[in-house]
Amino acid sequence: MKVSSLKSVKGKEHSHDDTMELTPKERVIGILKGEDIDRPPCFSGMGSVSVHAMEGIEWNEVHKDAEKMANLARASQKECWMDSVVVPFDLNVEGEALGGEVKFYEQHGTESLLYPLIPKKFVKKAEDIQIPEKLEDKGRIPIVVEAVKKVKDLVGDEVAVGSYVLGPFTLAGQVMELDELMKMSLRNPEELTSILALLKEVGSKVADIFTRAGADYITVRPMGAGTDLLSPRLFGKLVQPVLKDLVEGIDNLKILHMCGTATPLVEMLHDCGANALSFDHKTDLSEARKILGEKAIIFGDIDSVKVLLNGSKEDIKRSVIKALESGVDGIMPGCDIWPLTPCSNIKAMVDATRKYGKEKWFRKSKQGGVNDCERRGVQKAS
Amino acid sequence: MTVKEEVFKKLREGVIKFEKEQVVEAAKKALEIGIPPLEAILDGMAAGMETVGELYDKKEYFVPELLMCSEALYAGLDILRPHIKAEDVKVQGSIVLGVIEGDVHDIGKNIIKMMFDIFGFTVHDLGRDVPLEKFVEKQLETGSDIVALSAMMTTTMGQMPKVIKMIRDKNPNCKILVGGAPITSDIAKNYGADAYGKDASDSIQQAIKLMSELKKEIKAAK
Repeated sequence: MKVSSLKSVKGKEHSHDDTMELTPKERVIGILKGEDIDRPPCFSGMGSVSVHAMEGIEWNEVHKDAEKMANLARASQKECWMDSVVVPFDLNVEGEALGGEVKFYEQHGTESLLYPLIPKKFVKKAEDIQIPEKLEDKGRIPIVVEAVKKVKDLVGDEVAVGSYVLGPFTLAGQVMELDELMKMSLRNPEELTSILALLKEVGSKVADIFTRAGADYITVRPMGAGTDLLSPRLFGKLVQPVLKDLVEGIDNLKILHMCGTATPLVEMLHDCGANALSFDHKTDLSEARKILGEKAIIFGDIDSVKVLLNGSKEDIKRSVIKALESGVDGIMPGCDIWPLTPCSNIKAMVDATRKYGKEKWFRKSKQGGVNDCERRGVQKAS
Repeated sequence: MTVKEEVFKKLREGVIKFEKEQVVEAAKKALEIGIPPLEAILDGMAAGMETVGELYDKKEYFVPELLMCSEALYAGLDILRPHIKAEDVKVQGSIVLGVIEGDVHDIGKNIIKMMFDIFGFTVHDLGRDVPLEKFVEKQLETGSDIVALSAMMTTTMGQMPKVIKMIRDKNPNCKILVGGAPITSDIAKNYGADAYGKDASDSIQQAIKLMSELKKEIKAAK
């Protein structure tokens, strides 16, 4: 595989791990393609910014302004040294593009903050969903597109740029009353199937828009559709087929991230055909590795609140080592990094990955490394 | 099986199998044959809900099933509750309930609300995405014994210590119960809450315990 020459990297980044051969971007893309890389990356497919990375950040504003969004993403990466930058930071982009009104909270300082949300739900049946013809012009999609381009300019060819879309069931939860959605899954699965098919279209289109804007990989987030809310049987019947449609259709490198207890779902998730799966601490990673075998690329599972926000540096290090020993191929926070997380904590996660990544990575302790692991879908994705 | 037993069975099983029509019919029948409405609620529907809770713990039921059961239970409650006599109510207590600002996940809160309704609490439901000062205002306005706070996201539960302090500053005697997916009993303790409800039935037990603590404190103060 191509090994970048350190000397050739103009204005070499702090984020560059001098002891390693690859740039952060090569590392992330390499592992997603199932190639042999120097060590597991420390990156994310979800929001990974800290408001402490920049002076005078107004959390409310960064969602609405491409430049502010890109700058915060860039600044966080510069301070914390993760292998990726990800935009946007909230979960309302698709719902807003469909007509939902997003509530942004007034907030001051960096003591506490709230994510924006869509308080008023507007979908009761499939008919209520009108996919706009020019989806790329709707809501904040143009802002995210602009932010992807800007952040790519800022990080150059050094750092991987990611973006994300919601899984269809999760998007349904953004535009419908949750209890109505839940009851519909038992009372009227046919109607729900029609709704999910439409929302899958939205996800596909948005993923395509972000890909064309230049995102190096797309994360699909079916959060809330796991066993914390739905039975595995219902997941298999209603959620997985349409999730698979969405994932398979994305013409980019793709990660399927499932938060919450997903151990009973790992095979169904794997079957969706993403380049990699990622989980949070509620899924037993060693068990997931055992079920999926060595070929699967798995990321996880640093608890973004208990460990990354509130843990000590030692807790963070232990958590990284534990994830590596459970068989992950990359260290990833289990959810969006809570934006009040101190940069030094995020950096502690990066440091631990740099220090122990290679040594504790199960592929390196075996003969052959990743090259032995032919990945399904690799050709298509690359 | 006597007619009475038949009615209880229908109430119980109607809730468990989320057969709303069956619950409605059985509730009407209960009134018709003179079963005290509170008994029909507690020994009939609430007993059914207890089984539902067990099925949920055993991972046979999940949230959609829980919501369907709760809908069936409410259908019965709507019929029976107007006939309850004030002196029959076992728990005298009032509670302010809501999901805190920034969070629209109110399924858990609604299930808890149902439990409080069953057990005869007076519930002041503030809904979801509730600005913090609303909890304080409502508690003062109603003089409620308990404020129950719910947060379903790790991102919103961080506001809990703030609202707990705000409530305590205005009324140190009020009891505070917290719950929600990301919360643990340790977190609840750190936040300064009086109790943590692990799930719906635990919350109601905790609330009843808080009520008896309150009574003792009031006695001691006298």
